[in-house]
Amino acid sequence: MSAEAKKQTWFSGLGTALRDAVLITAACSVMGLLVNLFHPEKIPYIAEEEYETLVPCPEPGGEVTPLEATDPSIHAEDTFIVDARRKPEHQVWKLRDAMSIPYDYLEPIPDQTLKELIRRTQKTGARRVLVYGDGKDPDSGEQAGREISGKGIKNVFFVKGGAPALKGPEPGGGP
Amino acid sequence: MNWRGHSWLALAARLYLGWVFVYACLHKIAYPGMFALDIATYDILPLWVINLAAVTLPWVELFAGAMLIVGFRVRGASLAVAGMMVMFMVAIVIALDKGLGMACGCFASQTTEEDPISFLTVLRDSGWLFLAVYVAIFDRNAIGIDRLQKKRRNPHG
Repeated sequence: MSAEAKKQTWFSGLGTALRDAVLITAACSVMGLLVNLFHPEKIPYIAEEEYETLVPCPEPGGEVTPLEATDPSIHAEDTFIVDARRKPEHQVWKLRDAMSIPYDYLEPIPDQTLKELIRRTQKTGARRVLVYGDGKDPDSGEQAGREISGKGIKNVFFVKGGAPALKGPEPGGGP
Repeated sequence: MNWRGHSWLALAARLYLGWVFVYACLHKIAYPGMFALDIATYDILPLWVINLAAVTLPWVELFAGAMLIVGFRVRGASLAVAGMMVMFMVAIVIALDKGLGMACGCFASQTTEEDPISFLTVLRDSGWLFLAVYVAIFDRNAIGIDRLQKKRRNPHG
């Protein structure tokens, strides 16, 4: 074994290797740019418009349990009720003294509103939070419930079918 | 460091890594537009860089992979591969941190169901990074063109 070979450490010749890596990258990049000129599927070097990427957003919030509209716990004293529908709908009809937290698919629930919800649940001694929404697909009640649960509030439920299911069949043949 | 077995272990690693990189670049070279969309989906690079990366990166993959296979400038090629692996892993970790449910785009434009990113993807890339670093450090007398050139320069060595 030569003296030179004995002296080798793991970084011996690393400078040359790094230089080679940079040269490979540079040469291949130039080649890629040139090939693109004659490529049948060529693209502009600089994109002119934003790409429309369809990536599902992360699911908001945490776990939320569905309840049937006929479930007796809905009417229990220790259930705190949240109405996730829009304000005008809440003003027309609400379940008991439900707190109105209109759910917006684009905006998160304001921190101030969540603080108020926590304050009220503590004040009433509620053991569960029940959210009902418009009962559509997706249901604003379920979405709001997920967001509330994701903020750390435990025992969050939503009513399957939302307010229409709670109200029952409307006079005149409606659902 | 000078153990002869390193050359043979590194040869196996080189052939495997080289095949992975050559295979990975083929679809990207054929369809640069789809690869650009894959890059854009990560939502990391500014718009003006996306197409440039889509046009150039696959060629670096192709040549670095081919050089590993034929044993030419092996340490440089393996460092280029290691650099790309680090870049890909950072991108995947950022996407995972953002909670993006998206396809990797590593081999071809696949759907999220076919090739979703996960920490397993990062683990797989870590394995490839390890192989590339092993070759860069230990493959001092690479079997292939590098060794032939050495012999030609120093026939009695």
